[in-house]
Amino acid sequence: MRVIYYLNQFFGGRGGEEAAHLAPHIQDGAVGPGRLFEQILGAGAQVVRTIVVGDNYAAEHVESLNALAVQEVQQCQADLFVAGPCFEAGRYGMAAGTLCKAVKASLGVPVITGMAVENPGVDMYRSDIYIVDSGTQVQAMRDALTTMARLAWKLINHQAVGRPREEGYIPQGMLRDDFVEPSAAERLVAMVYAKTIGQPFESEFISPTFSPVPAPAPVVDLSKARVALVTDGGLVPKGNPDKISPYAATNWGAYDISGLDDLHGEDYEVSHRGYDTRYVEQDPDRLVPVDVLRELEQAGVVGKLHDCFVSTSGLANPIANSRRLGREIAEKLKAEGVEAVILTST
Amino acid sequence: MPLVQSMRLTLAYHPVTDICFGATTQLQGTTLEISEAALRQHLLEDRRLKHVDLAIVRPGEACRFGVVFDIVEPRAKEPGTGPDFPGIIDPIARVGEGITHVLQGAAVSVLDAAAPIAGGQLVEMSGDAGKACPYAAFVHLVVVPHVASALERHRALHALRLASTKAAVYLGRTAVPHAPADSAVFESLGPVETNRPGLPRLAYIGQIHSRQRVAEVDEQIFYGANTAGMVPVLLHPNEWLDGALVTSYFNRAVETYFYQNHPVITELYRWHREGKITLVGTIATMAGSDNDDRARNAMLAAHQAKWSLAAEGIILTKYGGGAPHADMALTAKLCEALGMRTAVQASDMSQDRRAESALLFNYAEVDAIVYVGGNDTRWTVPAVPRAIAGTPKAAEALRAAQVLDAGRLCGVTNQQGASHLRAFVH
Amino acid sequence: MPVAKMVGSNRIVQGGGIVHVLGDPDLPQEEEKKLRHDILKRAFEALQHTAEHG
Repeated sequence: MRVIYYLNQFFGGRGGEEAAHLAPHIQDGAVGPGRLFEQILGAGAQVVRTIVVGDNYAAEHVESLNALAVQEVQQCQADLFVAGPCFEAGRYGMAAGTLCKAVKASLGVPVITGMAVENPGVDMYRSDIYIVDSGTQVQAMRDALTTMARLAWKLINHQAVGRPREEGYIPQGMLRDDFVEPSAAERLVAMVYAKTIGQPFESEFISPTFSPVPAPAPVVDLSKARVALVTDGGLVPKGNPDKISPYAATNWGAYDISGLDDLHGEDYEVSHRGYDTRYVEQDPDRLVPVDVLRELEQAGVVGKLHDCFVSTSGLANPIANSRRLGREIAEKLKAEGVEAVILTST
Repeated sequence: MPLVQSMRLTLAYHPVTDICFGATTQLQGTTLEISEAALRQHLLEDRRLKHVDLAIVRPGEACRFGVVFDIVEPRAKEPGTGPDFPGIIDPIARVGEGITHVLQGAAVSVLDAAAPIAGGQLVEMSGDAGKACPYAAFVHLVVVPHVASALERHRALHALRLASTKAAVYLGRTAVPHAPADSAVFESLGPVETNRPGLPRLAYIGQIHSRQRVAEVDEQIFYGANTAGMVPVLLHPNEWLDGALVTSYFNRAVETYFYQNHPVITELYRWHREGKITLVGTIATMAGSDNDDRARNAMLAAHQAKWSLAAEGIILTKYGGGAPHADMALTAKLCEALGMRTAVQASDMSQDRRAESALLFNYAEVDAIVYVGGNDTRWTVPAVPRAIAGTPKAAEALRAAQVLDAGRLCGVTNQQGASHLRAFVH
Repeated sequence: MPVAKMVGSNRIVQGGGIVHVLGDPDLPQEEEKKLRHDILKRAFEALQHTAEHG
């Protein structure tokens, strides 16, 4: 079995923080943790190539590094790509995550890495790849590698992967059904009994914690600010040129309003199934208030109304999707000099 | 005479292993013999019915049937100990006391001939899907009432409801002259219990309808009433078990069978009998039609649990679709704020199978969740030689090999606590 | 409003109702526009102040 192994500058034996700028250094055979991993994997497994990259370099050259990793795996006809374990090292975790994801997506080759739950790489990549819970202690290296090796074998042999706790990986957040011996009623009584008498219990579901979005600083001078209008109410030009879906939309559109001081119902339609759309269809300003914003712009209250408004549909939109849409819209508007956004939501 | 008496219900079990059509309607050992003609005549007293098809389906048969309107266990009260389905069949009087005879192992399954077969609730009697379906273990009398085509939909549904209860009681009465093979006693004093000190006081708050769908004027759900305008109400646990409740027409993943054999209530009773808890009572509530309705019902239910039941722990279940989770969660949140600990049962609401998208509520204190899955589970079922449905065309569609989602199979993703499915986070 | 709070939005201003966030069809046009002004005024005030976590 042929393995390609990725390490950062520290675990690759090239130095500490002072070596974080290191460009990719590729060599034949195993290095550091890779040697131990090889042994644990057993059955004639061989780390054929090791890629060592400085954490800062990796953070600044994501695209080219992904391409490099994919190329190496392809050229060496590797059966497995391994990165880390990264423990708490954040830049290392992000690099390991992006590389594993890229190799898996491009080549379908099994990938495995390990991180501590707190590592930022976990939140980013947990649903794309299996990340073994390595904990924060580097002293647990052997245990982490052992768990990684065991899971790697399952992936290579196309065996079914069990639950996170059984297999040692960080929950990917994907739901899978199983039949269990006790009925829901039996589980309910046992659970409420434990909770009522103050004993520990294990909920079958843990509500997602939405990590707080740090509030951007207030707008310093509104009379100089460029303000954009964004909506999740699904207002689109007649004909819905970008084919924004009324339900679980996967895209957004930006629509020109330069020179307009009012939105007319006959020019627009609404792609959204979650509310009665006729009031907005009568007068789109009820959702995207171009009329008032233009007046405020002319009165000097607001510096500039941005030349376009951005629209998508928020109905039944999975959070992962909404997150991506929001990020894309924010990046676009920021690049266009927008300082503040009025987001109208139905 | 004690000032306060407990409510005591005895279920007298008469096992049934087979059903056959014969000259008379009687229980012969463990075989229920049914006179088709007599039963038909009994059901056709309702002039809205043109005719009624009757069929027997046995466990393990390569057979499936649907669309299921409801499944009811054949039962009848020992004469003089209370009404059968008060408000529907018998005059209003309290249930949950005396003796109720149960034809255990049999089921009356009424089909809705007018409901489209696509997506409708089914029973699968064999194969892997059958193994998962609790109703596959029973011997069924499948009843397909056919109404006059001009009949308004709500009247047709009422005719189905009436037929389901009448048939169940009619058959249940065959057990009355016989000695039961076994029996179970359900007895509790309710919240005024003082002789069980130190035991956690547990209660159940169950939704019995969701106002996402407005109940028909003549829809009978609760002691024959349609629940319009109702606010949460205290019920003795025995009332759920003994005919106070039937499912509403919005019957996804609920059957009257699992009111009669309510999984949560029977499990609470089991712990109560074993001396581990005190079952102090139940509250029947509805999922609201708007935010005010939701807020009002949640508040009233939580307050009744606290100040009338003096409950310490509460189990909550919901009825209907997705929005009722919000009602259940809000009720639980208010219970927690009043110092009562809660556990809730959530159905699978994930569109993309991601845990973060799955729940429709998020309160830190509502952290004891039983998660019944279902969106991940389906069976590829083979063509079967026999399918029973409302029309020949529907039966043909049902007979064919196809993929059946777990949510379509009665009992599998059950909302009354009967489900053995669990959604795990991977 | 509840969802916006739940996912951690920092600056939330209540609008005129789900089906007409910045409007009210029951009002005459002039009044409705004034309502729109008022809602947006509150929004701009929020943008010019440090967000409070609520």
